[in-house]
Amino acid sequence: MRAYVLRRSLLAFLQCLVVLVAVFAVGALLPGDTADVLRGELGTPQQVAALRHQLGLDEPVWARFAHWLGALLTGDPGNSLTTGLPVGDDIGRRAGVTLLLGVPALVCVMVLAPLLGTVSGLREGSRIDRTLNTAAVLLHAVPEFVLGLLLIASVSLGAGLLPATAVGMDTAALLAQPAVLVLPVAVLTARHLCDLARQIRVGVAAQRHGAVAEHLRLLGMRERTVVLRHVLPNALGAAAQQFARCVEGLLGGAVLVEAVFGLRGLGGGFVEAVQNRDLPQVQTYALLFAGTAVVVNLVGDLVAHRLAPRRELVA
Amino acid sequence: MALAASGLLTACGGDGKTGSAGGSGGGNGLFRAAFSAGGSQETLDPHVAPNFVDQARAKALYDTLATYADDMSVRARLAESWESDTSGTRWRIRLRSAQFHDGRPVTAKDVLYSYRRAADPATGSPSQVLLSAIDFAASKDEGGRSVVFVLKAPNFEFPTVFAGPGTEIIPDGTKEFGEPIGSGPFTYVSFTPGGTARYRRWGDHWDAAPHLAELEIVPANDESARLNALLSGQVHYAADMAGASVERLKKEGSTRLLTAERATAQQMLLRTGREPFNDPRLVRAVQLGIDREALVRIALAGHGEAGDDLFGKGLRGYPDHLEPRERNVEKARRLVKDAGAEGLHLTVETSSVDAAWEPAAELMARQLKEIGLKLSANTRASSTYFSEIKTKGVAAFNTTSTLPVSDFLQQRVRGGAARNQTQYSSKKFDALLDRARTTRDEGDRLSLLVRAQKIARDESGLLVWAFSDANDAIGRSVRGLRAAPPNSHDWARFDRVHMA
Repeated sequence: MRAYVLRRSLLAFLQCLVVLVAVFAVGALLPGDTADVLRGELGTPQQVAALRHQLGLDEPVWARFAHWLGALLTGDPGNSLTTGLPVGDDIGRRAGVTLLLGVPALVCVMVLAPLLGTVSGLREGSRIDRTLNTAAVLLHAVPEFVLGLLLIASVSLGAGLLPATAVGMDTAALLAQPAVLVLPVAVLTARHLCDLARQIRVGVAAQRHGAVAEHLRLLGMRERTVVLRHVLPNALGAAAQQFARCVEGLLGGAVLVEAVFGLRGLGGGFVEAVQNRDLPQVQTYALLFAGTAVVVNLVGDLVAHRLAPRRELVA
Repeated sequence: MALAASGLLTACGGDGKTGSAGGSGGGNGLFRAAFSAGGSQETLDPHVAPNFVDQARAKALYDTLATYADDMSVRARLAESWESDTSGTRWRIRLRSAQFHDGRPVTAKDVLYSYRRAADPATGSPSQVLLSAIDFAASKDEGGRSVVFVLKAPNFEFPTVFAGPGTEIIPDGTKEFGEPIGSGPFTYVSFTPGGTARYRRWGDHWDAAPHLAELEIVPANDESARLNALLSGQVHYAADMAGASVERLKKEGSTRLLTAERATAQQMLLRTGREPFNDPRLVRAVQLGIDREALVRIALAGHGEAGDDLFGKGLRGYPDHLEPRERNVEKARRLVKDAGAEGLHLTVETSSVDAAWEPAAELMARQLKEIGLKLSANTRASSTYFSEIKTKGVAAFNTTSTLPVSDFLQQRVRGGAARNQTQYSSKKFDALLDRARTTRDEGDRLSLLVRAQKIARDESGLLVWAFSDANDAIGRSVRGLRAAPPNSHDWARFDRVHMA
């Protein structure tokens, strides 16, 4: 187990490094730079050139990357080219919002998906299974921003039950008025819940009819024990990795959900950083996202390993 | 949950319970205005004001010497009066009695410092080019509230500078804008870059204290988020509504649309300095080949009116009574043939900056096909679009909101000007502009500008194919705001707002 963790961690580190180089290269290939964005239409060529020099954008690409990486090793990801403030300030503020959005969504997925998936899987073909399945397919087919707008129109503007947006609210304001978060969390949860519940359903059904379960039943094991000892661990083990992918998916889905509800989280921050060609910021986001993806996948694999220790997982 | 929700709605509803912290009494509630803030530099430095949200924030905190009326004529603000000598090179400005938020009086020294700073190319003021006409070494502070600007060349249109964006008056020596001090109607409370800016009414403002106790300018880049926030009462003002949102708002009883008609000039820039548009026949052919009425109907969904290749309809200095541009396919086709350009393939630069551009490009492609030109669109990234089209391509879409006509001509049409993107260069046009600038009589000056515009209209390659509306929206309870073109003083002017 320890060797496995070590090997996976080394791999994870290399993955992050590859992501950083790739993101920087792609960022450098994008048309224009921060000076172009900030001066935009109004800037004269001289103004743009002066700003470019002031921001150090006239240095070669590799020098800027080395500079950024060097600073990062000392724990300082540098200053934003757009605001001149430490990159961590803005990302820190936004991370709070994303956590308020992501953690409840994850908890919802984590609790509801196994529940719905297991109920469906154990009663394959029953009315409740068919209902859940149809609902999942329908919900999955609605894009997140459409679902968001539909919910705002019906629940907020129509029925007046929940606030429509979080425009102008920071982490503290959101904590003080958690009702604001209900709709965005619901939208964020929907797609991943559908995905995961359906996967667990298939897993449960397959395990239940599998040779091993049949064998255990022949040995005289009670159905309840078969389900708890064998069916669920195997079905959920496979789902643990899907769940890890869910975390990455939540970061991606957050971009749309944040926009619709006017939340200022990491997803929108990353998009803005790319639009502003703010490479130190883009790099830090990339590192954060890559790091999160690597860690959750690692955890997912370890959990799967623990629930259903199979050799091929080590690869 | 429902309880908490209704609590929030009331808290944001501006019910007058927020009280009036600071200032000398009066004022009702907290007013929240939502703007798109993406891509802005996010500083309260008023001399860097690229976006509308920056202008709205600057307007709350700072004053300018003068300001624009709806037709872009200049109205006094901090400057009580101004006069020039007979040559138009020396301008004496008298300041009114006004105070900064820390109690210091606004003096000539502050004005000189502010203008010098905004004229520095490294600062990045949108008015830098106009301000650089000032000879700062010769200009002087005449003590207290009188200042003399000496210009490098005569200019009787100089007062438009006093109202220009990025010319706000800040206290002498200001370098930091973390806790900004201005002389505007609101004082600074808090601001996070990319986040909410919060202000409090300032009771001692020279132009009467605001009615509002507090003002918040909140960012919401997504148009639907701004709209939904307004419809649900979370904000009182939603800037920059378009398309479907406008239709929706028209049906809504709880809100009101503020529509500034013709506020935005929709342009196609043809680079006359380069193949193939260095052939005036092709510029003329495109002018005659596009169907402006159809473009307004389809690309602008009817929210606008046809343009006639001139900037600034309804503004001071706009030449009225010109023949409208009519489509003439026959004539355009003949011009294309004469130029030997039949079947010529052209690319026009577009982006998602303005929702009208891409449908307009598609429609123009069909229209120009009828005159023998093939047009296709090249879509560029929105955040770098404007800087890219300065050097790339032969044709591009552009929009400009209201500006004084003379400034527009100086900055965008004059030969060699930094923002002259069509590379038009005409000695005759430039000479007329120069004569206008050095003509003392306002009537004569405007008629010279009209003559200059008639020339540029045919030759410059800057085609104004339509004027589109600018829309903001407010809640029903909001009083004291009216529709006004962006850049004018009454646009987003929150110091006169009160809530019913």
